[in-house]
Amino acid sequence: MEPDKDNANPTILNPSDLPSRRRESSVKKREDGGTGLFDDLVSSYNYLGDPFERPVSSSDSDDDSVEDIDEQEIYDLISSISDPEHPLSLGSLAVVNLPDIRILPPTSPHSSISTVVVEITPTITHCSLATVIGLGVRVRLEQALPPRFRVDVRIKKGTHSTDEAVNKQLGDKERVAAALENGTLMGVLRKMLSTCE
Amino acid sequence: MPPPPETPSHIIHPISSLSPPSNSRTWQSAPHPTLPLIATACSDRTVRVYSLTSFTLLHSITGGHKRSVRAVSWKPGVKGQSVLATGSFDASAGVWRRDERGLEEGYSRRRESQDDDDDEEDDENDYQFSCILDGHESEIKSLSWSPSGQYLATCSRDKSVWIWEELEDDNFETVAVLQEHEGDVKCVAWHPEDDLLASASYDDTVRLYREDADDWVQVAMLDGHKKTVWWVEFEGSGMTAKDFRSEGESLSEERTHHMEQMKRRGPRLATSSDDCTVRIWHRIPKGAPAQASSNTGIPSIIRSMATDEEWVQEASLPQRHDRAVYSVSWSRKTGMIVSAGSDGKIVVYKERWTNQITNGVKADETTGLESANDEEDAPMTEWVVIAELFSAHDVFEINHVCWARRCDKGRRSEDEEVIISTGDDGEIRVWTLDE
Repeated sequence: MEPDKDNANPTILNPSDLPSRRRESSVKKREDGGTGLFDDLVSSYNYLGDPFERPVSSSDSDDDSVEDIDEQEIYDLISSISDPEHPLSLGSLAVVNLPDIRILPPTSPHSSISTVVVEITPTITHCSLATVIGLGVRVRLEQALPPRFRVDVRIKKGTHSTDEAVNKQLGDKERVAAALENGTLMGVLRKMLSTCE
Repeated sequence: MPPPPETPSHIIHPISSLSPPSNSRTWQSAPHPTLPLIATACSDRTVRVYSLTSFTLLHSITGGHKRSVRAVSWKPGVKGQSVLATGSFDASAGVWRRDERGLEEGYSRRRESQDDDDDEEDDENDYQFSCILDGHESEIKSLSWSPSGQYLATCSRDKSVWIWEELEDDNFETVAVLQEHEGDVKCVAWHPEDDLLASASYDDTVRLYREDADDWVQVAMLDGHKKTVWWVEFEGSGMTAKDFRSEGESLSEERTHHMEQMKRRGPRLATSSDDCTVRIWHRIPKGAPAQASSNTGIPSIIRSMATDEEWVQEASLPQRHDRAVYSVSWSRKTGMIVSAGSDGKIVVYKERWTNQITNGVKADETTGLESANDEEDAPMTEWVVIAELFSAHDVFEINHVCWARRCDKGRRSEDEEVIISTGDDGEIRVWTLDE
């Protein structure tokens, strides 16, 4: 580990403790003759490339496709993002957590716009990379979700020393758009998101 | 305490999309001051110029900016040519010119040869890059020519507002660098009559500037929005003679007084914000019977400097947006306001007389009270929503909305206006307001 990291010794969650509804099926796979050796190494979220191509689960198979995205799926989309300074996922660092993801339905029957609110928990209160992590989460969701979703990414209250300032930046569409035209920053983001596909 | 929503009396009716759309986000559109054209700032680093007669693309201005073009503004009062300023995330502003003599001929030729890039005629028909304005340290967010065309204001994420003066063609001088804001400056707008500039910012405030003894200085700060102020725009000139106030029979004494007061204040200011509100502000005229200050007993020499202006919030429009309101536009023909933003809605508001007791009788009885309330309480007018459209750009955000003169064949009167919305979907849509 490099000495200048903001948090050289983060708490890391065991992958099997991370929320997933796919665990059952992977267990079944093991019974089917898989070795199980690589289960901890191969991301269990490797279907992330196009998550809306396949039905979420057999019970959801009715034709009402509008509300077929739930918090678990949002979690799956962002938990596999890599931390910019550790070779670990945001899920395993508990930067993103399932209970901190909410999907708000349209505010009017005339509207089809839903809102995804994600609260992120930086590993330490003065983590200077909080903005970059938040940006990664916002970009990942904007790229993966259908455009009817508005994405609001915030720092969980009380977990960061400058959370209001970071929240304001993350909520500013124009700043986000300009950031994505910044080559250096895009390089960092691309690396963070490379573990998602 | 929003008043009970009334059924909107008008509908926003689609007439066309400008064709072809951009295949990436479009930020802002500016109708030409005299010709039936509209220029759109695009995130693909280009500006698209469309016809408002045929709703088709006439020109693509490319090759100038290295990043998104965020803002465009036509220079007013130019004869024989069109002059367009462009502001970009690459921190520079560009000035482009096109000869408009023999306009009609040029258009038809251009349209026929649209796909033929090697056509020699294209060069003289196209917008020519004429100069670049460098100075800002980061993204330019907005720019605007003063009504006289003498000044161009630009603003940036670097927290500054620059005022450039065009001494002669393509020779611009920086006359002011204003660094009052504590955050990105999102929008700049000029007063329609005076050399008075307004800027809106990420620091949640609006600031006004004027020239004072050769120096541009801040003359007022408008504080009230709870979040980033995305847009600022002045009301048109002399609107009391054009808007709803000019309609109808003889006015009561009270209403006549109100109109005189409005004339003294001059054009008002509209702002829209991330806090989901649209607000109206006005100036407290100087030398007018300023009850508020005389009541405080503070000598006026302490109260303010000679150039300072006092602006107060006059109204907050009925809140119909539930996400950031990116843009608001004030019709210079009817005085109506249109707003749009992140929630994808377009909302039209109209001002009207309040139905208070009044009509002469009350005012006569309580003359003293009436004048004491001069600047506050019992507003004479109120704003109501007259039209509301959901999903104007399908599920996409609307970055900009404005009024423009209607120029297509379907025009119903000389004065008819259209609403033009510019969205994240790359679409620029044209709407009419129908009863």
